[in-house]
Amino acid sequence: MIDNNKKARRRWNAAWSSLIPILVFVLVVMFPANLLSQESTVFVSVLSTKLFVVGAANPETGVFYKKTTDDTVWQHTGPKNIRDFGLAVHTPSRGKLICIAAGNGLHKTTDGGKTWKTTTGWQVTEVLNAVIDKVNPDFILCTTPYGVFRTLDGGATWVECNNGIKQVFVSSVLIDYSDSNTLYCSTEDGVYRSGDRGNSWKRTGLSVGGVRVVVQHPKDRNTLFAGTDDYGIYVTHNGGKYWEKCAAGLDHSTFYAIAFDPNNPQILFAGGYVTGVYKSTDGGQSWKRMNEGLTNLNIHSLAVDPTNSNRVYAGTLWSGVFCSLDGGASWRSAGLTGSQVWTIAVQPF
Amino acid sequence: MNVKKFFPILILLALQSANAQVVSRETYLKEFEKRAAFITSIYDTVQAAGYYQAAVRYAHGKDIAIADKMLIELLRDPRGDMFWMIPAIGTYLQGKDKMSPEARATMRNAWKTYAPYRGDTENHWCMYHAALFLAAEQWPNLPGSEWYNGKSSEENLREAKEYLIQWMKITTTIGQGEFDSPDYFPEYAMPMILLSQFSKDPEMRTRGTMMTDYIFADFAVEHLEGQYIGGYSRIYQPAVYKPLLSGASAFAYLFFGTGEPTNSGWIVLPALSNYRLPEIIYSIALDRSKTYIHQERKRVRNVIRFGTEKNPPVYKYSYITKNYGIGSLQGGILQPIQQHTWGVRYTYGRPYTTIFGLHPYWSALEVGMFFPEEVKTLIADVVASKGTYNNPDKWTGGSPYERTFQHKNTLIVLYDVAPGTTTEHIDGFFPRNLEERIVEPSGWIACKAGDVYVGWYPLQEYEWKEESDASINTLNDIGRRQLERVKETGNWRLRSYKPQNGYVIEVRSKEEIGSFAQFRSALNAHTPTATLQPGSVSVQYSTLGGEKMEFAFPEKRMLNGSTINLSKTKLFDGPFINAEVGSEKMTMTYKNKKLVLDFKTVKITE
Repeated sequence: MIDNNKKARRRWNAAWSSLIPILVFVLVVMFPANLLSQESTVFVSVLSTKLFVVGAANPETGVFYKKTTDDTVWQHTGPKNIRDFGLAVHTPSRGKLICIAAGNGLHKTTDGGKTWKTTTGWQVTEVLNAVIDKVNPDFILCTTPYGVFRTLDGGATWVECNNGIKQVFVSSVLIDYSDSNTLYCSTEDGVYRSGDRGNSWKRTGLSVGGVRVVVQHPKDRNTLFAGTDDYGIYVTHNGGKYWEKCAAGLDHSTFYAIAFDPNNPQILFAGGYVTGVYKSTDGGQSWKRMNEGLTNLNIHSLAVDPTNSNRVYAGTLWSGVFCSLDGGASWRSAGLTGSQVWTIAVQPF
Repeated sequence: MNVKKFFPILILLALQSANAQVVSRETYLKEFEKRAAFITSIYDTVQAAGYYQAAVRYAHGKDIAIADKMLIELLRDPRGDMFWMIPAIGTYLQGKDKMSPEARATMRNAWKTYAPYRGDTENHWCMYHAALFLAAEQWPNLPGSEWYNGKSSEENLREAKEYLIQWMKITTTIGQGEFDSPDYFPEYAMPMILLSQFSKDPEMRTRGTMMTDYIFADFAVEHLEGQYIGGYSRIYQPAVYKPLLSGASAFAYLFFGTGEPTNSGWIVLPALSNYRLPEIIYSIALDRSKTYIHQERKRVRNVIRFGTEKNPPVYKYSYITKNYGIGSLQGGILQPIQQHTWGVRYTYGRPYTTIFGLHPYWSALEVGMFFPEEVKTLIADVVASKGTYNNPDKWTGGSPYERTFQHKNTLIVLYDVAPGTTTEHIDGFFPRNLEERIVEPSGWIACKAGDVYVGWYPLQEYEWKEESDASINTLNDIGRRQLERVKETGNWRLRSYKPQNGYVIEVRSKEEIGSFAQFRSALNAHTPTATLQPGSVSVQYSTLGGEKMEFAFPEKRMLNGSTINLSKTKLFDGPFINAEVGSEKMTMTYKNKKLVLDFKTVKITE
C-alpha cells in the first residue's frame, strides 16, 4: 500500500514537473511582465536643485533610491552635493557595486553603499556618465568633458582613451552587451565606435553635433539609437555604418534620454528639452507623445522597470521624478520635486 | 559683520593709504603690522560664530574657550565646499595647539564625514587641493575610512600635491586661466599663503611662497592706488564700476598700503600669516614715478566644447601712469560671464574711478563652451547665482562681436554684432562724479576726472541714459543672498543700437597734455575714419601722439604701417616683470633689485 502510494505520488509529481515549463511558458506569453511583477529598486542621480550654487547651503543632492512599490519617499546613498551627473548599478551584484559619475570624479561602492571611495584623481573631473561591464565588473568606463577614461582593475588605475575622437566632450558611453570589446560613445561630433575596449575609436556614420546619448537595443546588438541636441533621434540597424533620422511623430529636436522596454524592445521611450515623453511601439519607426500628468516637459532620464513593463520612470530637469504605471499613458510625481534628475536606473532586486 | 563702529578708523586709514609711497623695508613692515592688527582686531571681538573670528582668537591666544565653542558649533553642519575647506583648515592650523581636544576631534571628524564638492573652475580646484594637501599633512597615516573621499592620507596628499604642481606649471608656462581677477584674487592668494606658512613639505612651502609672490607680482605691476588695471577674467558688479569694492583691493590695503580696508573675511588669515611681501613687489606696486607699458599673455579657461583649442591665448596690454591706467584684452569670449575686456581706471573720485564699455552679450553657446550641463538650460542655471548674466543692462561680460586694439594710451574698440544676437546694442559707462562730460561738435566726448582726461569718440549714433538704482536679488559665490547692483543712480550710460559700431578712447593726464582745454583741442584735431558695414568694420586713426592706427574687425591691427602680431606676446613683458612663454620663470626688476622665481628648480633668487 505504502509502495503503491509512493508510486502514485511519484507519477503525480513527474506529471506536474513536466507541466511546469509549459505553464511558465503560457504565463510568460500571456501575461509578460505584469504577472511576474516583483519589487524592484529605482536609483536616480540628482544633479542639483534649481538654485545650486557652488559653496552654498544647497539642498541635498546625489544618488537617491527607493523600492518601486514605495510612494515618494527616497533614501540617499553616497556623497552629497558633489554634482552627480550619472550612476551605474551592477545588476549581477544586486547593487553591491555602484558607481557614481560626479563632479569630484568616479565614486564606487562595493558593499551596497556602506562605504564609498573616489577612485579617480584630479585629472578625471566633471564625470558625466559611467558604465560597468556586466561580466567583468573591474572593467568600468566613464565619460567627461575631457574624454573617455577606462579602468580594468576596478578603479585602482585609470587611463585616458580618446585616440581617434576629435571632440572629446563625451556625454555617454556603452559596452556592447554581447562583446565587451565593442564600445559606443556620444560626442560633440557624432557617435564613435571602438572595437578594442577604447584603445582606439572611429566615428560611425553619424557625424551630427551634440550627440547627448546613445543606447543599444537589448537583443539586437547592431541596432542603436542616438539622441541629439537640435538634430532629433537617429537609428542604425548595422552597428553604426549608416544612420537614419527618426521623424514620424517627433515634433522636437533635442533628446537627452532614450530607453528600451527590456521585455519588449519594440517599445521605446524618449525625452529631452521641452519634449515631454515620446513612446514608440514599433521599434522607433513612429512616435507618440504621452504627457498626461507630466507637469514638466524637460526630460533628462528615462527607464522601464524590467520586472514590470508598465512601470516607467522619467527624470525631469527641476521637477524631480515622474512615474507611470500604465506604460506611459499617464504620469504622476514620484518625488524629489525641484531636482534635476540626470540618470535613472531600475534594478530587478 | 557690523563694522560701523570702526568707520572713523576706516576713514583715517583710507586717507592714510590713499597716497602710499615706496618706503623702507623697516617702515613697510611696521605699517604692515599695524594694518594686520587693525584687520584682526575687528574680528576678535565679534561674538557671532565664524571661522575667522575663531582663527583670530586662537592666533592671539585670547578667549580660546569661545573660539572652541564657535568651531564646534560651525562644524556641526559644515557647508561651503572649498569655501569651507580653506577657512576650516586655516583656522585649525592657527589653533591646533591651543584648542580643546573636543574641538580638535570635531575638526578631524568633519574631514571624515563632510564631502566637499571639488568645483568646476580653477579657483575652486586651487582652494580644494591646497586645503586637502594641508589637511592630509596634519592627519597622516590614516586609512581611507577616515576621509570623506575614501582615500588614505597618503593618497590625498599625493593627489593634491600633483594637482598644485601642475597648476603652477601651466600658470607659469602659458598663463593663469582666471587671470587678473579683482574679485577672485583672494581665492588664489589665501590658499597659497596658507601653503607658504603651514606646509610641512619644504618643497610645497617654497612653492606656496613662490606662487604667492607670483600672483602678487602679477597684481602689483597692474596696480594703481588699490585698483587692478586693465582687462580681467572675472569681476562682479558693482566692483566693476566701484573698483575699490573688489577683494583684491582688500589685499592691496594690507600688502601695499593702498586701497581701502574692508570687512572682507578673505583678508583675515593673510593678516595672521607670517608671509611678508618681498620689498621688490610692493615697490613695483607703488612706484608710479615713470609711465610704462606692460603686456601679458594669459589663457582662456578650459574650453570643453564649441572650440578647437582647450586654452587659447589671452593678450593683455596695459598703459600705466601715476594718475591713471588703461588696459585691454584683445576681445572675444575669453572667460564666461564676468569678463571685463577693457577699462580706464584713475585715482580721482572714489568710488566711481572708471570709464569702460562693452557689448552686453549672453548666450547658451558661451556658457556651453565652459560648463558641462545641458546647453539649452545652462543660462537658467547660471542666472541662479550670476543674476545679471542675461540682463541687457549688465556691466560685465565679453562678447564674440567685440575686439580691441590698444597702443599706449589710445584704444580702439570695434563691434560687428550679428543680427539676432541677444542684445544688439553696445554700452559705455560714464560715472556720475566726472567733473566734465562734454560732447564736442567734432563728435568727441571729453571727460574730466580731476587731472585725468578721457576722450571717447563714438563711431555711430547713440543716446545718453541716466542710470537709476536697479538690483537683482541673487546668491553670491558662497551662496549668501545678496542684492547684485546692476546700476546706480546718477551714472551715465552711452547706448548705441548700431550693430556695426565702435569707439576710440584717448586718455591723458594734465602732466601729459596740459589743461583740459588743450586736451579738448587736441581731440578735435584728431577724428577717426571708419567703415561700418556688416562683415566690414574698420577704422583708421591718427592718435594724439601722432601715430597711425588701423584696425579691421576682427584681427587686423596695424601700427604706423606695420602689422601687430599678438601671438608674439610674452608671458610678462615690461620694465618690472618679464617671463617667456613656457619658461616657468618670472624675473622681477626694480632699480638695482632683482627677484627670480624659478619653478623648474623651485628656487627664489635675489
